[in-house]
Amino acid sequence: METARYRLSRYVIHHRWASLLVFLALTIFFAVGISRVELKTIFSDLLPSTHPFVQTYKDHPNFGNPLTVTVMIKRTDGESIYNPETLQKVWDMTRNIDLIAGVDHDQILSITTEKARYAQATPFGIDSQPLMGDHSPQTEAEMAEFLERVKKSPGSRAFLISHDEKATIIQATFIERLLDYGVVFNEIQEKIIDAERDDAHEIHVAGQPVLTGWVYFYEKQMLQIFGITGAALLISLFLYMRNVVGIVVPVVTSVVAAIWGFGFVGWLGDPIEPLIMVVPILLVARSFSHAVQFIERYYEIYYHVQDKKKSAEICMSVMMAPGILGIVTDAIGLFLIAIAPIPTMERFAVFCGFWALMLVPTGVFLTPILLSMMPKPKNVNQIIGLDGDHALIHAGIKHMLQKVSKLSFGPPAKITTVVVIVLSVFGLSKMLELKIGNPVAGSNLLWSDSEYNVAIAEINSHFPGLNTLEIIFEVKEQTQQRLLKQADPIFKMTELQRIVESSDFPPVATLSFADYLPEANRLFSGGNPKWAPLDHSDMAVQAASGAVLFGTSPKAFSHVTDFVQQNGTVSLWYKDNKQETVDAALESVRAALDEIGIDHDNYRVRLGSGTIALQQSINDTVDLYQWYILGALNLVILISCSWAYRSLVAGVLLLIPVNMSNVFLAMSMVYMGVGLDVNTLPIAAIGIGVGIDYGIYLLSRICEEYQGFKDYGKAIYAAVATTGKAIFFTAAIVLIGILPWYFMSELKFLADMGLLLVMVMLINMVIALIVVPLLVWLIKPKFVSSEDLLVGEGVDLSEYAGGEESLK
Amino acid sequence: MHIKKYDFDYSRRFFMDKMAKGTMGAGVLTSLMPLIGNTGDISKAYPEELTNIEAFTKGKVKTGDIIDANNVEYIKDLIDPVAYLQITQMGRRIRIAPTTTDATELFPRDYLEATLRNQGKGAFDANGNVVHKLDGKPWIGGAAFPDPQTGLEAFANVTMSWGRHDTAVYAIEDNDIGPDGDIEYSYNLGWCEKNTVGLVSNPDGPYWEGHEDKLRYQSVWFTAPNDVKGTSFLNIWKYDQREFPDLFGYLPAFKRVRRFPTNQRFEPLVPGITFFLSDAWGAGDPMLTWGNYKIIGRGPFLGSQSGTWQGDQENWSKDATLHGGKKGLNFFEVDFQLCPEVLVIEAEPVGFPRAPVSKKRIWLDVRNMAPIGYVTYDRRGELWRSFEVGYSQQKKGDLANVDAKGNAEWSWSYVHAHDVQTNRFSRFNHAKSVKGGLQTAFDTEDAYDKYLTIQAIRRLGS
Repeated sequence: METARYRLSRYVIHHRWASLLVFLALTIFFAVGISRVELKTIFSDLLPSTHPFVQTYKDHPNFGNPLTVTVMIKRTDGESIYNPETLQKVWDMTRNIDLIAGVDHDQILSITTEKARYAQATPFGIDSQPLMGDHSPQTEAEMAEFLERVKKSPGSRAFLISHDEKATIIQATFIERLLDYGVVFNEIQEKIIDAERDDAHEIHVAGQPVLTGWVYFYEKQMLQIFGITGAALLISLFLYMRNVVGIVVPVVTSVVAAIWGFGFVGWLGDPIEPLIMVVPILLVARSFSHAVQFIERYYEIYYHVQDKKKSAEICMSVMMAPGILGIVTDAIGLFLIAIAPIPTMERFAVFCGFWALMLVPTGVFLTPILLSMMPKPKNVNQIIGLDGDHALIHAGIKHMLQKVSKLSFGPPAKITTVVVIVLSVFGLSKMLELKIGNPVAGSNLLWSDSEYNVAIAEINSHFPGLNTLEIIFEVKEQTQQRLLKQADPIFKMTELQRIVESSDFPPVATLSFADYLPEANRLFSGGNPKWAPLDHSDMAVQAASGAVLFGTSPKAFSHVTDFVQQNGTVSLWYKDNKQETVDAALESVRAALDEIGIDHDNYRVRLGSGTIALQQSINDTVDLYQWYILGALNLVILISCSWAYRSLVAGVLLLIPVNMSNVFLAMSMVYMGVGLDVNTLPIAAIGIGVGIDYGIYLLSRICEEYQGFKDYGKAIYAAVATTGKAIFFTAAIVLIGILPWYFMSELKFLADMGLLLVMVMLINMVIALIVVPLLVWLIKPKFVSSEDLLVGEGVDLSEYAGGEESLK
Repeated sequence: MHIKKYDFDYSRRFFMDKMAKGTMGAGVLTSLMPLIGNTGDISKAYPEELTNIEAFTKGKVKTGDIIDANNVEYIKDLIDPVAYLQITQMGRRIRIAPTTTDATELFPRDYLEATLRNQGKGAFDANGNVVHKLDGKPWIGGAAFPDPQTGLEAFANVTMSWGRHDTAVYAIEDNDIGPDGDIEYSYNLGWCEKNTVGLVSNPDGPYWEGHEDKLRYQSVWFTAPNDVKGTSFLNIWKYDQREFPDLFGYLPAFKRVRRFPTNQRFEPLVPGITFFLSDAWGAGDPMLTWGNYKIIGRGPFLGSQSGTWQGDQENWSKDATLHGGKKGLNFFEVDFQLCPEVLVIEAEPVGFPRAPVSKKRIWLDVRNMAPIGYVTYDRRGELWRSFEVGYSQQKKGDLANVDAKGNAEWSWSYVHAHDVQTNRFSRFNHAKSVKGGLQTAFDTEDAYDKYLTIQAIRRLGS
């Protein structure tokens, strides 16, 4: 009886021109959408939106100064910064930063700006003057005067001049609405770094606008790697297929799928994160491999049938179920990444999941249609591995796989079983050592020796640094009496700082709005240090706050309070962002918060924001959601495969190797020193999708071969040598496509993803080729002998035979 | 028969020709100043197209019309770039008023009379300061250069007498609006300015004896809310315009005076205000601390020169007209009129090595030398801030605020100060009084002792 799959296949092939027109129309529709595609990095979208730390950060984005650029100039010849040459550079750099587009002119701070002041009480009142006059000190007398003034400015000494007096920093905050990261990055390079760096001065620049600038900078490099990857894929395709059809069909179907994938997100209006562009390369490679599997199967059939249309019908019919099942599970793996509440990952899941799903129409339907229209290549025998003399690659792979297959049945199977069990137990034990988080000094997007991360390390080593934990004091309801002019929150801030500073794990430095008040109190009370402490009264705090803000813009204090003094932060600086540091910092702060309380009459204390908290938010999310994603994937695979093979055993049998692959991936990561983080979160899901794809193809082929041989060993031998060849090619082509990213990308994010994708493909290939047949051999499940499999590839080609020889 | 010479483009060609030749006298059909001196009626100095918006726009805009985003393109060239942005992007509306042709409505009477009386007597000395041409003594009152020939002369007119009164005490309501359209800060404040030379209403002559080395005393003090009540600033301007004023601040909670850096002109006085001392009257710094004054244009312009005194409203409030911005709280709806001829002048902050601005551009109405438009540019040359002042005779129907001689007073009426880069905005209303009981007053005799000494600002905070 003709199956529905066969009737559908025949219908499609009989109406192949109409089908092509439908494909063309859809492709045009999606192609139009491509013009709306936007490649854009949104850093806040890399953060898990539901995590309380991220919500705190989004409610108070100005704390932790994400839009602030920090420039450090360091004297390298042993001199201090107190010389005319260096101070002139600081003056010039400060003025030049003010020329960069989007800078907030009110928020530029260095030892040369009017905001860096010293104050002294005189008989005539408080005299507050800038550290530097209307020009940088040029003479000895001017320099001596400048030094005197610096001594009277404790804030400048703590935060603007390094302890060893060899470095100073300039900070500039940008206005988000006017900020163009690329422009800022280029202008900083040109006006600051190139203009002022010399043999005696190092210049280091850090801050989120600069980091984004670096990512944009490397995006240009990505295009080059794309070119190399594309060329490598084409060359490998050519070497493998050695005919026009074998190149044109995979390329056309892959391009069509790519157009649909990009066009889809274009119509959705979602920006694409360039940082995940390595995954589309995987999809292109997977598209190639699906096409190659179809081509090989098509020519196997053609070899018997000698009719292109008929071969296309049969090919489509037999490959449809395993193809669709494999692709859909692959796509579900990608879609399930959206479970993690990280906006970039959600968009990534929709984009890549849809693209992967579109391999169904392009791979399962378009490929046979095109094959039926293309001229017959001359090397059919070589492609299907018959002509050993002229198909070294094909025959060699087949020969090698035949040897591999022997590990999975017969007497060697016992040894293989022991080895697999031992390795799995070892892998599981190693998996437990897998670290959450992947800290480097600075940004994990870039290599630790990148210019940006070196800058972070340098700034951290000379100043309190850039690794902050922000604890936000947030008003519940705004009243005329501003929160940071009230005694209770101000004294609670001070108490929090005191507790944290005296804990077993004190931060390098702490700062809050409360820190500015005693100095103002002292100065405005006459200058005697005994007047520094504040009375515990709203009136005293209000007076001191008024003194701090007297004659200045609240923006000068935007790092510690918002514009209206209704919310403030206590900033804690830590020496690095290693996980041990993060854990200890959070523990000590939580203990401090237990003491001071988090819920008060008119305000609450929220933990937290800053690089430390945001890093932890990602790690928490990755740690939790990897299990959700894994669990959901297992469930989906179990249900779909059990249904397809009409056997729960089949579902379990397919789940074992993919989870085993996941264990080995984790083990590899432990040995590579790579932790689980947002870069690596999608890899496990992608890996399982890939692994199940392999498993389904191979298991289906084993079932098919079993129908003929009625012998598990022979079925395994034949299946591994045929379908295993396609799996081998798939893994190889993905490896060729993605490996250059690891070696060439200066974005660590891409390199990490690339390397792990390669690892996951290799592990899955080996597991699929060895463990799937081994399990069949050991379990000898009944469904293998069933003739009623949804995914069975079995077809009696003799019914259609019109040609030379038979495979069997 | 239509006289070709005075066709529609006549004035435009005339102004271009004037700029090209460098001839600077005000007036198109005839010189402006003699008309002001003779009858006060300036209408004969300009063709109808410069005194009637309907004629200028060929009927597209009429007196009484509201200008908003729908029709602003017709008058785009007649407003400053910030006002254009406010109308197109923030929902601002302005109402078109008739052009004032009676010059007496554009000045306090004493100042106008001094200007006419002292015509031709102003000059710059070797240091660049304005002096009496004959004796080299400080200026004697009124506009020193009523028909300015250079940018510096025009600026001197503004700088030498900000409010055109010998003494003025302004009661001011301030609201500071953030980018989200919320009012983030509200202040009540007093502002007092007292000229020491160039006096126009002083029976003893143009100088305040013993203070001839100064130009003015000026103070600001806050009367509400409570957390800033009594906070005050005192500015003492030297006559020598090359020198910075002394700037003192007083914090009542500490009873301490703080001396500020003399060049602190680009910082707000209290949190939230989008106003720097440098912005005051478009000429908030001594004029010789700026330089490279250039007249870069001349022609008609829309500015607020009448109709904004709300004497019939409680405390001269304009709150009923508030509109625009994200919460409808940014702008007063005010009258703008076609000013027949303005000088467009640019200057650079040459005396401020750390100035965050690269230049200011100011539109001066030649009828009364009032700055009716003012914008600054950052050092990249990007538009940054504006300080729009509206002026008005304090007369509405039968209501009037009159001086000692019974003439209606003239003063500023409102200010819109806008930082277009951060989109922060301040609006000031010139009120009748503010919390604490301070009342607007002109030419009061005790202002110096009450508001303009260090002892006085200490007392204000007690």
